[in-house]
Amino acid sequence: MYGGGNTFEGIKTDSLAQEDPVKLAEFEARIDRGEKIEPTDWMPQLYRKQLIRMIEQHAHSEIIGALPEGTWITRAPGFKRKLSLMAKVQDEVGHAQLLYSAAETLGKSREQMIHDLITGKSKYSNIFNYPAFTWADSCFISWLVDAGAIVNQLANAKGSYGPYCRALDRICAEESFHLKYGHHCVIYLAAGTEKQRQMFQDAINRWWKPMMHFFGPSDKISAHTEVLMRWKVKMASNDDMRNQFLDMYVPKIWELGFTIPDPNLKKNPDTGRWEYTEPDWEEFKRVINGDGPCNKERLEVRRVAEERGRWVREALKKPGMAYVTPLA
Amino acid sequence: MNSLDPRVNRLPAVGQPGQVEPRAPLDQFGTFEVFVQAKEGKPFQHEGIVHAPNLEMAFVLAKEAFTRRFTCVSLYVADTRHVYVSAMTEGNTAAWDFINTVADKPGEKISYEIYLLPKRGKQHQHAGTVKAATPEEAMSEAKKQFGSKMVYNVWVIRTSDIRFTSPEEKELWLTLPEKKFRDASDYKGGDKLKEFLERSKIQS
Repeated sequence: MYGGGNTFEGIKTDSLAQEDPVKLAEFEARIDRGEKIEPTDWMPQLYRKQLIRMIEQHAHSEIIGALPEGTWITRAPGFKRKLSLMAKVQDEVGHAQLLYSAAETLGKSREQMIHDLITGKSKYSNIFNYPAFTWADSCFISWLVDAGAIVNQLANAKGSYGPYCRALDRICAEESFHLKYGHHCVIYLAAGTEKQRQMFQDAINRWWKPMMHFFGPSDKISAHTEVLMRWKVKMASNDDMRNQFLDMYVPKIWELGFTIPDPNLKKNPDTGRWEYTEPDWEEFKRVINGDGPCNKERLEVRRVAEERGRWVREALKKPGMAYVTPLA
Repeated sequence: MNSLDPRVNRLPAVGQPGQVEPRAPLDQFGTFEVFVQAKEGKPFQHEGIVHAPNLEMAFVLAKEAFTRRFTCVSLYVADTRHVYVSAMTEGNTAAWDFINTVADKPGEKISYEIYLLPKRGKQHQHAGTVKAATPEEAMSEAKKQFGSKMVYNVWVIRTSDIRFTSPEEKELWLTLPEKKFRDASDYKGGDKLKEFLERSKIQS
């Protein structure tokens, strides 16, 4: 599970002006009652658009996120770790399939989403634009990036769109092994030789900045998302999720005797909130827009796979085959 | 490409970076609805879709996508286009209210599988089989047989349109419990962690 830090498009104040006020009121009342919205139900265009965008970004994050970890399958230390990592990466790609299906029920076809990914039109979790130099980087992703994604996804699983919630329920149920596996790998590095410990410390030093970026821009500067919160598309603010992640995992990292490369990181006993050096949001924007260390490679790997698989898809195509929007 | 991953460095040059041939809209494989039986005696439940070139491949892909780790004793798939769907209702309105009663006509009857949605937000479950000449009649038959239950949506699929699991194929899922590396319980690090923490305490 890799989704997190979704970016939403800015919402214009008149974006609901064209909607039927009676239907809109019924729609909002249904969400207030805690009921799910299903594909055939009436929904505002804005809801549909933002959901497609969010679920699609999540799906892309799963397949792109499988790349930095997948790199380490052949070099994972020992047969058992190779098996585990292979199973985990397979899960992540499976999660992408579940998520694409959920987004498809809203009317955007899977091929269109994949096309938009490869051509750079739609985004994925920014953290995967950074390289996994060592085995310890792979362990950092398995433990802490997954942990971050779980914080995000457990919140989203209580959202309002039925097919997305059902996909997330399946995904969250599969995740318990990922998190345990990641922690297991890190405990073994922490309890290992000085060189192993240093390897993981270096991984933390490399990944902390993208990890802080993971939950998306600070609430102070992020796009106006009030209506998305009301519609239960976005379930928690970026800063709240970041705080929850720090609360759960900083003590665990410290417990293993590692340090975190932020001298200002501490929990304020009065507010109960974590304080930290404000992440560099200019860098976040720059990387998400294509100028990160691995953006080109990630998309190129997907593009080449797509192009090389083309003849297989063409060969399997039969007359009479037709795509229709899936049901639920 | 200059990558940390030797496999990426070995990728052949194909086309131009960032350029993908645009395709006609909806030029892609069709979708198939997947139904899974988690345990013997439990009803089949709708789990989601797979994209596939045909029913046979849909079956294989469904096994990979939906039964890698959840318990499964049997699954089946049907082309999305072969699912007949009733109106979706809410509140106190049952889907049955929108299904017309069809008069029994003479002619050959075939079997149809019936799926009901008893709660909004959940997934369709298999309720039973009816005999009918047309999908409309199958809906009507379903109403007669199951109409006393409150449901929000009804699906009907011709039995012959479904790719079922054969008895021999059931062993596909027998290896599932052996794959301990897929279980969280296989990653108990508690003892190692405790030992490490005690060692650190002594050293400091």
